[in-house]
Amino acid sequence: MTESAPDPDEAQRAIEYCYDQGWSDGLPLVPVSKPLLDRFLATTDKEPDEIIGSLEQVGRDVDVRTAAINAAMAGCKPEYFPVVLAAFDALMRERAARGGGFQSTSGPAPLIVVNGPIRKELGFNTAGGAFGPGFRPNMTIPRAIGLIVRNAFGIHPHVLEQATQGVPGRWSICVAENEEESPWEPFAADGGVTGGVSAVSVTLTRTMEFVDNRHTPNPEDVLRDLQDTIGRIGSLIFPQTSVALVLCPEHAQMFAAAGLSKADVQNWLIERSGRTGHEFRLMGKESVATKTFHGPFEGDDAFHSILSGPKQIPVIVAGAKNAAISMVVRIFGEWSGTAVPVMEKK
Amino acid sequence: MPNAILDPTGSVTSKAATAAAPRARRPASLNGARVGLLINTKQNARPFLEEVGRLLAEKYDVTLTERTKVNFAVPEPDEVIKELVAGNDVVITGVGDCGSCSAAAAADGVVLEAAGVPVAAIITESFIPTADAMAALRGAPGYQYATTAHPVAVLTEDKVKERAAQVLDNVVALLTEPAAGE
Repeated sequence: MTESAPDPDEAQRAIEYCYDQGWSDGLPLVPVSKPLLDRFLATTDKEPDEIIGSLEQVGRDVDVRTAAINAAMAGCKPEYFPVVLAAFDALMRERAARGGGFQSTSGPAPLIVVNGPIRKELGFNTAGGAFGPGFRPNMTIPRAIGLIVRNAFGIHPHVLEQATQGVPGRWSICVAENEEESPWEPFAADGGVTGGVSAVSVTLTRTMEFVDNRHTPNPEDVLRDLQDTIGRIGSLIFPQTSVALVLCPEHAQMFAAAGLSKADVQNWLIERSGRTGHEFRLMGKESVATKTFHGPFEGDDAFHSILSGPKQIPVIVAGAKNAAISMVVRIFGEWSGTAVPVMEKK
Repeated sequence: MPNAILDPTGSVTSKAATAAAPRARRPASLNGARVGLLINTKQNARPFLEEVGRLLAEKYDVTLTERTKVNFAVPEPDEVIKELVAGNDVVITGVGDCGSCSAAAAADGVVLEAAGVPVAAIITESFIPTADAMAALRGAPGYQYATTAHPVAVLTEDKVKERAAQVLDNVVALLTEPAAGE
C-alpha cells in the first residue's frame, strides 16, 4: 500500500454522512471539501455569490457556489462545471421549470442537449447509446441539475415533489448531438447559437417512445410512422403539445438524401400530426380536441392538429449509425427555443 | 484538522420563509359577506366552487365574485392579491388536486390571510403533505384548509355538487371560527 492510497473506511463514513443529511437522490454522493469546491469555482468567471436561478414560489435562490457543490457531489469533474451552469441557465428559461414543473405530478425530466467542440473536449458520448448510461459527463451533469433542484430549491419527493410515477432516468438524460453524422446544422443553431460554438439546450420532458423503422427505402413511409407515434392521444392533456424528435443518423441521412431539410421534416409532421375529434371522444378527451384551452369541442369529424410550429418539434440527431431507430420525446410545456453558450473561464 | 464536508442546500433567501404570516381576523358570520371565488382552472374546479358559492348565497345571502387564477401552478401575483383583498371579505380557492396547484392554493391562502382576508382553500386529500410544506415555507406552519377526497377532476356534475355540499360546513367554519388559542 502506498502512502497516498485513499482510505476506503473514511470514504464510506463521508458518503454515509451525506446520506444522513438528506442530500442524496438515493445514490452515493461525492463528499465535497473546500479545495474541491475551489477547483469548480476556478472554471468560471462568475462570482460565487452570483444568483443563477430562483424559484419564487418556494422562496429559494441558487448561487454559483451552491451549484458547484451540487455538481461536485453529483460526480462531475471541475471542468464540467461551465456545462452545468449553461444547462441550468437553459433549464430556467423554461416557463414550466420556473412554474410548478418540479412539483408536478408529471415528474418531468430535463432533456439536456450539448453541441460544439466541448463534446469532444470533455469526453461526452456522441455516438451509440445516446440516452446512456456509460459516460461520466452525460451521466453526472443531469444528476447535478437534479441535486440542485433537491438541495438548493428544497424540492423533495413526497413533500414539495408530487410525481405520480415520474419519468425513468429523470435526472440522467444528457444527449451530445452526433454532429459528425448529422446532415444538418447543429441543434444549437435552432436555439440561436451559431458558428459551431459550444452550447447547451434544455427542455422538460415526460417520457419517450421509439420508432423502429428499418423496413422501407421510402422517407415518406418513415415520416408517416413518426407521425403515427407523435399523434398518440395518451400523453395529451392540452389542445397543443410539443415533442422533441431525436432522429438516429440513419433516418436523418435518409431524409436529407431525399432533399428534405430539417424544416421540411418539421413542417411535414406539423401538418399531419394529430387525430380526429372522434378518436379523442372515444377516450373521453373532448376537452383536448379544442382550438383553445377550455374552448368548445371541435366535433367528431374535425382533424385536431397538435403541433403549432417548429418550436413545438425540435429535431436533434443522436445515436449510432447502426439501426434506423429514432425517439419521440414528449415535452412538458414548451421548449424556450434558446440555446445557452458554454462560457469557460477567460 | 480535516476539511469539512460542504452543505449543498445554500441559503433560504426569500420573503416566503421569513416572519410568521398572521391569520386574518374572522367575521362572526358570513351574512351579507362579499365572497371571492378564486378558481384555479383545474377540471371541475369551476363547478365545485360555484356550487359552494351557490349554497353560501342560499344560506347567508352572500355576494359572489369569480376570478380565474393567472397560473394554477404558482401563487397569484401581488397585484391580483391586492384586488382580491380590496374586493372581498373572504376568499374560497381551489381545487388543489395536483402537485403545484395544491401548494399554490396553500400559498395564496397564507398570503391573503396575512393581508387580512380569511381564506378557505380546498385541496384533495392526496396533497396534504405538499400543502402543509408550502404553508410552513410561507411562515404559516399548521395552516388550516378544507379537504375533499381525491380525485375531483373525473367526477360527474352531480357528484361535484355532492362534494361541494359535503365540504360546506368546513368552509364556513374555516372562514368564521378563530383558530384554537385565538
